[in-house]
Amino acid sequence: MNDCRKANLAHFAVTIIGKDRPGIVADTSEVLFRVGCNVEDSSCTMLGGEFAMILIVSHEKPFSKKKLEAEFAAKNMGNGLSAFIRTLKDDEVCYREPVGELCLVSVYGSDKPGIVYRITRELADRGVNITDLNTKLIGSPAQPVYVLMLEAALPQGLSVEDASHLLDNLKQELSVEISVRLITPVSL
Amino acid sequence: MAVQNIVTYPDPILKTPCPPVENIDAAVQQLVDDLVDTMHAGPGSVGVAAPQIGVSLRVCVIDVSKNRHGKDNNHGLLLMVNPEILVRSGSAVMREGCMSVPDYTGDVERATELTLRYSEPDGTVREFEASGFEAVAIQHEMDHLDGMLFLDRISSLKTGLFRRKSYK
Repeated sequence: MNDCRKANLAHFAVTIIGKDRPGIVADTSEVLFRVGCNVEDSSCTMLGGEFAMILIVSHEKPFSKKKLEAEFAAKNMGNGLSAFIRTLKDDEVCYREPVGELCLVSVYGSDKPGIVYRITRELADRGVNITDLNTKLIGSPAQPVYVLMLEAALPQGLSVEDASHLLDNLKQELSVEISVRLITPVSL
Repeated sequence: MAVQNIVTYPDPILKTPCPPVENIDAAVQQLVDDLVDTMHAGPGSVGVAAPQIGVSLRVCVIDVSKNRHGKDNNHGLLLMVNPEILVRSGSAVMREGCMSVPDYTGDVERATELTLRYSEPDGTVREFEASGFEAVAIQHEMDHLDGMLFLDRISSLKTGLFRRKSYK
């Protein structure tokens, strides 16, 4: 749903993180189900040995953040999961999806400080909107390799070739491989 | 012109395999015309299958000639009654979206070369080979005839590439 949320709903951003084990999603969604929250959008993944959940949930008004916090505190006591909840304002739940061409940028090379920063700053300064990003440290301790993959919506007037060219000078400076390709969905 | 409304999930017709056309009569020819009109009315649409306009029959139309992925490799407007894939080979992943499943896209792996047989609306049986984006579009539309949506074929989460098989 990318239209405006209904006015009778309160929205919250919920972040859960803890040492990975089977059951984190089940425990979290059980709390949400019991208090009557709907999971609207969510993204969950393993990061290192942790499992991280980010969810946008809604509940019919009136509903307070305190109620949700208390439920998570009771459920998560002693199980190592931490929960953070933020109330979303109305203008935060109405959003517009980026409309430009979607591209995938892959960056990899010997690990060094500043890869994520330099790449994303370059893109941000040209109005490129990152929609998804993940990084991984791979290789051996003696030869660590850094891998960064991101998906981004290009602003009007910036082509995939332009975006690729934009990052060219960073290839040499950071000695990393960088490639940019079009992944705009096909409408069938 | 008879542009029809696009049926969206959860309409059960989209998950129901379609029976073949027994006789290509005036009604089937009208269905083909409606499918073409509906395809041309959808912005950027490159194909429509009969169940997407509420008709459970093995008929679909495809035209990738105006799409940037298909403009250099296509057979123009294809009007396919009872299409069958005889041979498939190759594979490629594209991020697909579907008019019947609004607001969602996903990576789907498809064959890149097909040999197909189908009947034209005048009854002529035709065999031909399709490749590239045209082959992808044909497989997407033919999936509708089998009650399959691209959601049934998503090949990976976006971040799947990075998952380690195990943590040491």
